[in-house]
Amino acid sequence: MVSRRDFLKIAAATSAAYVISRYKLDILEVLAQSGDYVHICWLNGAACTGCSVSLAQASDPDLLEVLMSITTFTSGLPIALPDWMYVIHPASGSLAVEMIRDWIDHDGVGPKILVVEGAMQEKGFCETGGRDFRDWVLETADAADYIIAFGSCSSFGGIPHAKGNPTGAMGVQDFLINVGRSDLASKVINLPRCPGHPDSLILTLASLLTGIVPELDKYNRPKAFYGKNIHDEQCPYRGFYDRGIFADFGQSEVGCRFKIGCKGPVTWADCPTIKWNDRTSFCIEVGAPCIGCSEPDWPDGDYAPFFVELSSVPTLLGYPLESWGAAFAGAAALGVAVHAARKAIKKKPVEGGGE
Amino acid sequence: MATFKVDPISRIEGHLKIECKIERSPQLNNEYVVTECYAPVTMFRGFEIFMVGRDPRDALLFTPRICGVCPNPHSITSAMALDDAFGAVPPPAAILIRNIEEAAYYLYDHLIHFYLLIGPELGVLMGPEYGAPILPPVAGREGLAKGIGVNYAKCVEVQRRANEVVAIWGGKFPHVTSYYPGGVLVEPTLDRISKSIAALVPVWEFIALRHMQDIMNLIRANERLKEVTASILGVEVGLEDIGIGVGRFLSFGMMPGIDDYESDWLDTSKRRNSLIKAGAYYDGSSHPLDESKISEDVKYSFYDGPDGLHPWEGVTNPNRDKPGAYSWTKAPRYDGEVFEVGPMARMLNTFGMEWRIPRVHPITGEDYGDFVYRVRNPKGSVLDRVVARAACVLLVANAVFQYLNELASLVKEGNTKVIDKKPVPSQARGRGLWEAPRGALSHWVKISDGKISHYQCVVPGTWNWSPRDALDRPGPGESAIQCGTTWVPTLNVVEIANALYTGWGDLLAAALTRLNPKFAKLNMERTDSGEYVNATIALLVVRSFDPCLACGVHLITPSKRTYVFEVGPGLTSVY
Repeated sequence: MVSRRDFLKIAAATSAAYVISRYKLDILEVLAQSGDYVHICWLNGAACTGCSVSLAQASDPDLLEVLMSITTFTSGLPIALPDWMYVIHPASGSLAVEMIRDWIDHDGVGPKILVVEGAMQEKGFCETGGRDFRDWVLETADAADYIIAFGSCSSFGGIPHAKGNPTGAMGVQDFLINVGRSDLASKVINLPRCPGHPDSLILTLASLLTGIVPELDKYNRPKAFYGKNIHDEQCPYRGFYDRGIFADFGQSEVGCRFKIGCKGPVTWADCPTIKWNDRTSFCIEVGAPCIGCSEPDWPDGDYAPFFVELSSVPTLLGYPLESWGAAFAGAAALGVAVHAARKAIKKKPVEGGGE
Repeated sequence: MATFKVDPISRIEGHLKIECKIERSPQLNNEYVVTECYAPVTMFRGFEIFMVGRDPRDALLFTPRICGVCPNPHSITSAMALDDAFGAVPPPAAILIRNIEEAAYYLYDHLIHFYLLIGPELGVLMGPEYGAPILPPVAGREGLAKGIGVNYAKCVEVQRRANEVVAIWGGKFPHVTSYYPGGVLVEPTLDRISKSIAALVPVWEFIALRHMQDIMNLIRANERLKEVTASILGVEVGLEDIGIGVGRFLSFGMMPGIDDYESDWLDTSKRRNSLIKAGAYYDGSSHPLDESKISEDVKYSFYDGPDGLHPWEGVTNPNRDKPGAYSWTKAPRYDGEVFEVGPMARMLNTFGMEWRIPRVHPITGEDYGDFVYRVRNPKGSVLDRVVARAACVLLVANAVFQYLNELASLVKEGNTKVIDKKPVPSQARGRGLWEAPRGALSHWVKISDGKISHYQCVVPGTWNWSPRDALDRPGPGESAIQCGTTWVPTLNVVEIANALYTGWGDLLAAALTRLNPKFAKLNMERTDSGEYVNATIALLVVRSFDPCLACGVHLITPSKRTYVFEVGPGLTSVY
């Protein structure tokens, strides 16, 4: 049996791309240790469905590999559908509602994971299955062992919470705190970016299923994916910046994108190493500025207007001030760990010492 | 008379529910059919409101987030609206790069719809021989080895390859970043071109060979469906007889040629040389598009203001208490009439009633024979919409290789300029019109003091899923569901499948209930009179439009049910 490697710790020290290429078989193998399939409930709020589509772009492992190997565990099932997921589920209507209810009531071996795609809003702007979306999230969040906010909208509000928005859009964690359920907010792991990166979701799932809660930054993002600054620590075009060579619009081959509005200096995400769509490319590589879609204030704050140069780059000893803050924030991460421990205690009598 | 609803509807983009009145139909052996349908959309974010006051160029990155299934069409449509406003004309290489990016995106989109979204229902209707490859791989790897779900699984792989090409030119998919007013940001290199060709060859092969075979099989299986419906309903009902549309089809055109850009493309009343032509198809022919004839009604929508405003003048004044309103969708109309948009509109306006698409391998030159289809139901139907989508994806799969080759020639000539860079104008307006996979898409932007002062999107989701208009006419989607042939059986899915092919339903039931015993109840809904009815065919009609509703940016659900049901011609207090 493969030992329980902490994939995300290795990823934080190296890169997620490295972990996937080096440990793929280990990830698959280490997961096959339970007797149930993974119970996932995937809810869509104020979403564009881009995060679901993004998951379908996962290449290694790909979506079917996830459904036919990873999430089946050793249940003996040929394929494990999420208990509910809007875009691929066979059921509609009352049966779909029943499926969500069954997930809420389920009390099995493996962890129950709620994935939320899309922002939370004030009452009345999003309804599904005859109920306001807020009520669904409150009920499922209570039943979940972990909540993954996949994409910028469910993490921090994303585009729907852009300044001037009429619906009061916000991320899941803020929503839970606002309605007085900070206890549930501590279960949230944020995987922002627009859309969410499929590898970040699959590695986080793999990590949770092996019982390891990823180390998070102060915004509850796993450090493995959001621990490094794009401009200072990862960008392949950084050398141009240091030599003062800057690209204009329509020049994708040479030059730092700073002067066409690149927000890499104020953005923490592993896009330059993990890239997108089977490691094909990323925004900066096609001559575009990084727009900072992984950050809590996005799209406002430092980020939009997207094609306008940053007014200043705050640094301390060569590193942006922001990244210093992350070192002092372990509190949010602790919240998730505490919950996982509670779950382990709760489960013990049910499992009858089967561990 | 009874009523039922389906809420939520899975395997579409966005939040949609349908509410149907059913009655026994003397024409269909006294079986239930839908006689009235309302289709509220249940989510609202307010893009048009929070984009006001921003840098116009930010529209390039905001509007794709309207829809993550069809982000690319919003990217290019906003880019064209800004081209227009900035007075910038994309150079030839930029036109080709835009075409390549959009074409590769199209391949993913149409394939996903056939296999992942509507495929499961079609697979059931097509039976064990023809249907098995397009069903989801419900029996896992073992099943795949026997052919169950092989094309579904292949589609998952192939759409990813197509999107790699989108990423080569756009950085990532969903939500590309390389568009800019007057062109694109990414430079053409032979490396990008050759990588694109390598990725797209297996995609072309899947489309031209396997997908077209599945489409031919669907047409064959449809004959069996007619035999069985004849025995149950006393009259043949094939897929060409359900989901009958309004018979008017609007296309805005897409994929301009580099030679005709200024003469033909920018004047949308021409657009006759592009891959897909612009036009309004009715009375058996395509008429030149007239942008000024686009308008939106709000009589049954939760908005104050006059009916019939053009998007240049469009206003969005929400009023939740408006008497008589039942939807937050506006009702777009063309020349005052209800028009369907989507693949069938593209094919009819471009080719008329008979479509002939060559299948010549882009690398080897081997000819696999033309794909030929003659429209079965000129008013539109489930079958015609599905086949139109397939014909369209084959057409685009052929074209993308032509664009890549043309771009390679430009690169070899050194003609690699990708941008006609213009400053952000202080005062201007511009519009972009394009074909999203789900149909005609337009963006209308006004700029004041260098900022967005007005942004309206008229999207396929509002054309096809509009509510009743000022003259009480339902939208195309609602019309198609209540056209009179949407059979609502009391037989369940397993029984129907068994009636179609002996033992087929039992096989499906065994596979599905192994995953979850409750799948035996798939698509069964309880009516208000307590009877269980099968909503599969109604859902098939819904999905034949490939609804994409996050696009309906005006939309919101009424939180009080009374808004929906105390209105509408003839339908009062259903629940």
